[in-house]
Amino acid sequence: MLNDLLIAFQAVATIENFLIMAAGIWGGVIIGAIPGMTGTMAVTLALPFTFYMQPIPSILLLVALYKGSTYGGSVSAILIKTPGTASAACTTLDGYPLARQGKAGKALNMALYSSCTGDFISNISLIFIAAPLALLALRIGPPEYFMLMVFALTMVSGVSGRSLILGLVSACLGLLLATVGEDMYGSFRFDLTMDMRGGLAVAPVLIGLFAIPELLKIVVFRNTDTQKAMQLGDNRVTREEFRRSLKSMLKGSMIGVIMGAIPGIGPSAAAFSSYGEAQRSSKNGENFGKGEVEGIAASESANNGCCGSTMIPLLALGVPGDVITGVMLGAFMIHGMTPGPMLFETNLHEVYMLFIGMLFSSVLLFGAGKATMRFFSHISRIPPGLMAPIVLILCLFGIFSISNSMYDVIVLLAMGVFGFFMFLLAIPAAPFLIAFILGPMLEENLRRALAISRGDPSILISSPITWLFASLAVFAIVITIRQQLKKAKS
Amino acid sequence: MGITRGVMVTVLFGIVLFVMIPIYVPRPSFIPGFAPPPDMWPRVVSILGMVLGLLLLGLSLSKTTEAIADPDAASEIRGDTPLGTLLVRFGFAVLAFAVFVVAVELLGFLLACILLLGAVLVLTGYWRHKWISLSVAVALPLLLYLFFSSALNTRFPAGTLLRALGL
Repeated sequence: MLNDLLIAFQAVATIENFLIMAAGIWGGVIIGAIPGMTGTMAVTLALPFTFYMQPIPSILLLVALYKGSTYGGSVSAILIKTPGTASAACTTLDGYPLARQGKAGKALNMALYSSCTGDFISNISLIFIAAPLALLALRIGPPEYFMLMVFALTMVSGVSGRSLILGLVSACLGLLLATVGEDMYGSFRFDLTMDMRGGLAVAPVLIGLFAIPELLKIVVFRNTDTQKAMQLGDNRVTREEFRRSLKSMLKGSMIGVIMGAIPGIGPSAAAFSSYGEAQRSSKNGENFGKGEVEGIAASESANNGCCGSTMIPLLALGVPGDVITGVMLGAFMIHGMTPGPMLFETNLHEVYMLFIGMLFSSVLLFGAGKATMRFFSHISRIPPGLMAPIVLILCLFGIFSISNSMYDVIVLLAMGVFGFFMFLLAIPAAPFLIAFILGPMLEENLRRALAISRGDPSILISSPITWLFASLAVFAIVITIRQQLKKAKS
Repeated sequence: MGITRGVMVTVLFGIVLFVMIPIYVPRPSFIPGFAPPPDMWPRVVSILGMVLGLLLLGLSLSKTTEAIADPDAASEIRGDTPLGTLLVRFGFAVLAFAVFVVAVELLGFLLACILLLGAVLVLTGYWRHKWISLSVAVALPLLLYLFFSSALNTRFPAGTLLRALGL
């Protein structure tokens, strides 16, 4: 393995790859720092461009954007009390009070150190866990895969919105839309027009679903207020403050790694769990929420701690744990690679290149964060009323360039309107997208399993692994319903 | 809101199950081996969707379970703006998208994008910064057009009207 990693190191260490990763990190930080622009949007907007790139640089670009935007989200959280991304919401609790005390620079620096630490630990975990897990996954067949994907969808549906039922409705809509076009045996389904025979491409669906509704929200609700950004002020994190926060940083990183590896949990939940744990175990627990650097360290290390580990289920099992890894799955497929256990047999060199590239991007994140800190306070002030229309035009050009067809552009706009309706009905978009991406695989594995068992559905609960995933799915549903009932009663 | 949503979800999946699948998912006359037919999966998903819609409807009828089915996210940001105003704004946005699709055929991709960007800047309320808006509306699509057509060799539609006029 070490030898393979060294060969991969030589392959990744090129000027071109560094420039791509630096651009990704830089772009991610900028997009993440703009309120309303999320990491998902950064990654989805870049997807059309990866079409023209080599496979590994294109995945590295998306990973770099993901990492950059996760850190960038903390910038507006600290400077204008508006988290750029949902996972940075927890950083607001201590980041903004610290900025009000004239110590915004200190808060941003602590966020950067913690993000890089969490990110690095997460990447190391990915390198050591993904390959053994993939070996284990080679032993599982279509029924086990089907149940694994059902489990992943249940988890995503349960945690991505405020209602499990609405999450499941969203997943059903995604699964249904994924059936448009030709099926595995060559039958055409829902081919209302000739273009629809080719199905719906991932890029216009997901970009439409995530970028266009943001624009429609601004147009319809005119919620474009921007707050005045704080000055950076006191910049340094003292040695004593760093030493005090180190324990929370390391603990937060591990929480991020574990929660990121479980499909559906994601960085927001990791950040809040880590923050809660840090507050409980810290000597300065009473200062949390009043501008405590340890609070920033806990939340930022946890949300960036998810960045590498969310790739574990994607690479080892072929199951994306969240929307961003769902987009990455699309990018892998665009380049003819299918994530999952076979990836470690057919494209081992590329997998190791990806691992090394991710380690490099941790270092680049630190450099980009340090170099652009002063620039951030300006970025956070770009009004959404200007930014959202710009994003729309970027989407239109990007999508048209992929297929040279207006059909994809129409799908993009239609999905945007559909996504806005989903928002109005409080139906979360994440389960829809994961289901849309997993749909063909889910159906293929189900139909294969039923063909093997000659139509007997009991094959889906015939092995210990299928039982395990089925039990976990039921457990997740029961726990979520209990929590929601409790919340409803209170 | 909860009842409306439950009805909408049930009706949507009902239409797919009872109207669209029989018309648009034909069963082939021969299916090899024991492979399930192509309509099996869409039917399973539609039935599940209908059940979930009915569940939403049922939960919305009881005061104690209503909160599970009805988190009501949109009403939080709607504020005091009358519903009519919101619908008009939404209608204009959809109209702008539709006009864009038609305009691409007539005027070409670049001009259609300039017009759409201008319209959307008006709709977001940013048009009060007239000069910035105008510069962005013209310069951004033009730069992207040049980048995509020269660097990535993308061939954008030229527009039938402009072609007829010899432009």
